Amino acid sequence: MSPLLAFQLRRVARNRQFLFFTVLLPAAFTVFFTQVFAGTPGGVSPEQAAATMVAMMAYGAIGAALGATVRLSFDRASGWLRQLRVTPVPQTSVVAVDVAVGMLLTLPPLVVVALTGRFVNGVRLAPGEWAGLVGVLWLGSAAFVALGLLLGWALEERAAGGAVGIVGTVLAALGGLWVPVELFPSGLRAVAHGLPSYWYAEAGRAAAEGRPPSPAAAAALTAFALAFAVLAVVAARRRSLPAVAG
Amino acid sequence: MSTTALEVSGLTVRHGDVLAVDGLDLRIGRGETVALLGPNGAGKSSTVGAVLGLLRPAVGSVRVLGRRPADAVRAGCVGAMLQHGGLPGDARVGEVVHLVRSSYPDPWPLEDLTATTGTGGLLGRDVGALSGGQRQRVLLALALAGQPPLLLLDEPTSAMDAEGRRAFWTTMRDLAARGTTVVFATHHLEEADAVADRVVVLAGGRVVADGASAQVRSAVGGRTVRLTAGRLPDPLPGVTAVDRQGGTVALTTTDVDVTLRALLAAGVPLADLEVRGASLEDAVLTLTGGTR
Repeated sequence: MSPLLAFQLRRVARNRQFLFFTVLLPAAFTVFFTQVFAGTPGGVSPEQAAATMVAMMAYGAIGAALGATVRLSFDRASGWLRQLRVTPVPQTSVVAVDVAVGMLLTLPPLVVVALTGRFVNGVRLAPGEWAGLVGVLWLGSAAFVALGLLLGWALEERAAGGAVGIVGTVLAALGGLWVPVELFPSGLRAVAHGLPSYWYAEAGRAAAEGRPPSPAAAAALTAFALAFAVLAVVAARRRSLPAVAG
Repeated sequence: MSTTALEVSGLTVRHGDVLAVDGLDLRIGRGETVALLGPNGAGKSSTVGAVLGLLRPAVGSVRVLGRRPADAVRAGCVGAMLQHGGLPGDARVGEVVHLVRSSYPDPWPLEDLTATTGTGGLLGRDVGALSGGQRQRVLLALALAGQPPLLLLDEPTSAMDAEGRRAFWTTMRDLAARGTTVVFATHHLEEADAVADRVVVLAGGRVVADGASAQVRSAVGGRTVRLTAGRLPDPLPGVTAVDRQGGTVALTTTDVDVTLRALLAAGVPLADLEVRGASLEDAVLTLTGGTR
């Protein structure tokens, strides 16, 4: 492992809040929501239990992807990124490590919430479906890693910290991760269809049923990932060259 | 191997509409200790930024040990303390030092490095728990981590107390004695005077004086005659500037003898007379067009 990757992972691991909000909270919600439905007449169906688990996996992964990457805004504010630029560590590795850290840190919430769903809520999937579910949500998290990098480059330290909280909440609430989109009024449902989080959970639900993501979900997630990545590169370029040729 | 550590030619750096460096030429040989001296806005930091590849020059070229700035940094030829550099949060000092050391091809042995920079006791500390002076010491350790042949220091002692400064410059003199080229930007004239064997005075993004500090002082060609007096004859031969503060008059003169003789001839009592060479500060103020 590259020394920079090890260094960055150790820093995040040290951050208890990050682990709480991205791993423990979604796992607790998975249990909580399922227990709430269990108390209603008719109880909780296996489909509802699975859908809740998938939604919370998506919620945790989005939080982790955004939270892990937006940190670059703090590193820019502290002067650390500048400091790194006068060491032999190449800029390309700094960017690659940011992406790798974002992608790696989406795995703990995915795995922990999946385990919670399986062993606490009794969600039963075939081994291939479990693998597909985690795999699809892991790949799909690239869109949110890119969004986090965009926010990290575009916003100042204070704004970035707040923005990630708000963006994460909006994506979760309006994307149907807390309340299923089927219960939304039609206007709000249209909004949900314009958000990457909706298509992300949609791809997860398909995977949990052993189906590949729908073409619409795959296309939407790819498009969001590319758009966020391009904008992140633009924002980063504007930051890194304060003096321009002219 | 080339004897040139740093070659800057026709360097122009713009920040938006502001011209920060204006066609600067500078050649620094290996092993020199050079102070870049000048008031705020003189172009010191922009020059350092361009040399480190942090800023893209509008015009001109910079060669660091014969390479482009970014390549020299990548090759581990350069160590730097930046004015706006910093340390990462959620990390221990030892982890940061280890990371930076591991990025250089030939890192300075840890024990030597920490002993030299006074960071031995800090390695287990959380970065957030460091005092201002301790941070500067850690930043120095990062600059030295790769035993680079060229050190660039931008206002390195700004957060240090007097004792910290003394220790810092002792370290720099030791490094210079071992052949490290040290280039530092400062507006502390005493530091430039005491540490550098060459002083480059910048103003308005240009070099206005370049030489040994004694040479830069004499470039303003003057000595100062200070005395307590009322009215003085005007003009006085040799005098290029008169600065009156209360009863004390400071006369900058190109010829002390002529000026004193004229004062005596005019019957001016030479009370509290004091004659001294221009200080580096006087020289810089004169050269950079400051008033006193």
